Amino acid sequence: MYPFMRSSALTLAVGYICLGLAALALFATPLWYAWRVTIQDGRTEILEADAQRLAEVFRRQGPAGLTSYIITRIDMQIPNERFLLLTDASFKPLAGNLTVWPRNVPAQSGRYTFDVDLGGRVTRADFARVALPGGYNLLVGRDLARYTPIEHRFWYALAGAVGILSIVGAFGGILIRRALMRRIHGIRQTVSAIIQGDLSRRLATSSSGDELNVLSQTINGMLVQIEQLIHGVRNVSNAIAHDLRTPLAELRSRLEELSLTKPSPEQTFAELEAAVADVDRVIGLFNALLRLAEIDSGMRRSGFVPLDMTEVAAAAVEFYQPAAEVKNCTLTMASNGPAPIRGDPVLLAQALGNLIDNALKYTPEGGSISVEVRRGPGHVVGVSVADTGPGIPAAEQPKVVERFYRGDASRGTPGVGLGLSLVEAVARLHGSALAFEDNKPGLRAFVVLQQDAPPGVRGPGISAAQQPADAALLHSTG
Amino acid sequence: MKVLLVEDNERVTQFVVKGLKESGHTADHAGNGRDGMFLAASEPYDVIIMDRMLPGDIDGLAIIEALRKSGKRTPILILSALSDVDERIRGLRSGGDDYLTKPFAFGELLARLDALTRRAQGEGAQTKLEVGDLRVDLLTRKVTRGERSIVLQPREFKLLEYLMRHAEQVVTRTMLLENVWDYHFDPQTNVVDVHISKLRQKIDADFERPLLRTVRNAGYTMTAQD
Repeated sequence: MYPFMRSSALTLAVGYICLGLAALALFATPLWYAWRVTIQDGRTEILEADAQRLAEVFRRQGPAGLTSYIITRIDMQIPNERFLLLTDASFKPLAGNLTVWPRNVPAQSGRYTFDVDLGGRVTRADFARVALPGGYNLLVGRDLARYTPIEHRFWYALAGAVGILSIVGAFGGILIRRALMRRIHGIRQTVSAIIQGDLSRRLATSSSGDELNVLSQTINGMLVQIEQLIHGVRNVSNAIAHDLRTPLAELRSRLEELSLTKPSPEQTFAELEAAVADVDRVIGLFNALLRLAEIDSGMRRSGFVPLDMTEVAAAAVEFYQPAAEVKNCTLTMASNGPAPIRGDPVLLAQALGNLIDNALKYTPEGGSISVEVRRGPGHVVGVSVADTGPGIPAAEQPKVVERFYRGDASRGTPGVGLGLSLVEAVARLHGSALAFEDNKPGLRAFVVLQQDAPPGVRGPGISAAQQPADAALLHSTG
Repeated sequence: MKVLLVEDNERVTQFVVKGLKESGHTADHAGNGRDGMFLAASEPYDVIIMDRMLPGDIDGLAIIEALRKSGKRTPILILSALSDVDERIRGLRSGGDDYLTKPFAFGELLARLDALTRRAQGEGAQTKLEVGDLRVDLLTRKVTRGERSIVLQPREFKLLEYLMRHAEQVVTRTMLLENVWDYHFDPQTNVVDVHISKLRQKIDADFERPLLRTVRNAGYTMTAQD
């Protein structure tokens, strides 16, 4: 099939043409009707007036007078402009341009339309028949064929209009299609390049607000997101390759050494236990990565419930309290009352736990860590964990949420560099982001959560802000 | 106890069956869903270990649902490589009693099986728990050891209650996290150990015989025996 046939521009053009034709028909029909009625009425009036006049002549001047009048009249008129016939009582023609009284004329006086034979040529005509005193008969007629050219002209004009409309419509369709195809072709080329792997390509956009432009801008936004994700995946696979290889290499050499040297049973068991610990490290890494993937996929939004962030934070603080005591640090919790939000309680607890855990890890003995949950104006809940540790240099701050990133300060501490990535991922799932601030001294990590669910996951008419009581109830049973 | 293991992986099977036998239990094994269903329905087991992905694309959860529908109340531990929280919830909803992700430590599995069979034997409406001379009254929330009254904070009380309810069994750190704090994730630090040592300070420090003991490579146990 020729591509034009499948084009949406063709459909559009054909649609427009059909619509134009329908409009034309709607316009012509009443016009045609009005014309018909006017002409018809006019014809009848003229015919009747003529018959009246002739009858008047008959009344004044008798049959002879009318006969001569008709003869004069026929001589003066355009041939066949009028059919005139005067007969006596036996229908014998006395004067007129019809040679014989038509057989199909009804007996009564009145107006009729019938076919008449003009010596071989049959034509349709309007007639007025008048019965004159003394049995004389008068027939006045008008040939309808005289009007046909006008009717024809009307139909020709209509056909012409239809033709012009079709041509203009088709031409317009082609033009629209061409303009559309040019832009779609541009989009297709860009998309093909992206499919080939060039993710940096973007669709051309202009400042105009037309639909294609808006669509292109939306697609560009999607491409930016995809590029970032792919970039992230690439980074992560590189990081996994590095971070998994290290413990696996250790494990491998440990086991190989065992099989080669065959040490004493006690030593073998000790080595085996160390090997199990190595494996556990790898498993831990896997679990952390899987959890991140699970959060990133956005599937966990199904686990969103109304909850009180203050309670989640208080539970986390209580959980880490003994660990802080062991380290001689103070761990305190502050809030301005319940902070109802919609979220995933398990993930929020884990994210907060990671932040507290991090703070504990880097705060020197005798330091202090404060967790704060504050309900702010405009339906937001701010959650922050501040410590008095060394902090994170401003330049390093964007990097710490990257997967497997470990700052200079964290060298020599346990961990795989996924803790803050998880916090960031959880924040993102809740429509927010993890941010840092100087605590002078130390670090303040904070997340500002919206009280409503993030876009697209709002429950049917339920918002946490409306149901703080339910949120508290749900949490206390959880 | 008598255990049925429904699992198609030979290594895992060998590892679990051997471990169970060494711990003095008897274990039957079914390598596919049909045999598993048949054995579970016909033999009296104390506990069933059910793998999720079985040969022929059978989900262990379907078997569990069928068993529950037929009125079998045997405790079931689901063993699965699917670690999502949602999967865990689905597992427990289908009628499973506990959910353990692969790979797992044998100690963890054994501790959970112990907890399951003990629960099935029904301790139900117990109001007083006792291990040695340590007494816990669940109604008045009073804790005494010998003649001495011990003051515990609410979370410490909950921790002690869980340990006492599973006295003479090994309780792992993960079990404590899940049941005492309702945390279904690994907090990556030894916070549980710190909580335990705090509790120990209160219930064991001034007494000759410690009741709360550490089990190497596994967890903790509350016991009055030597």
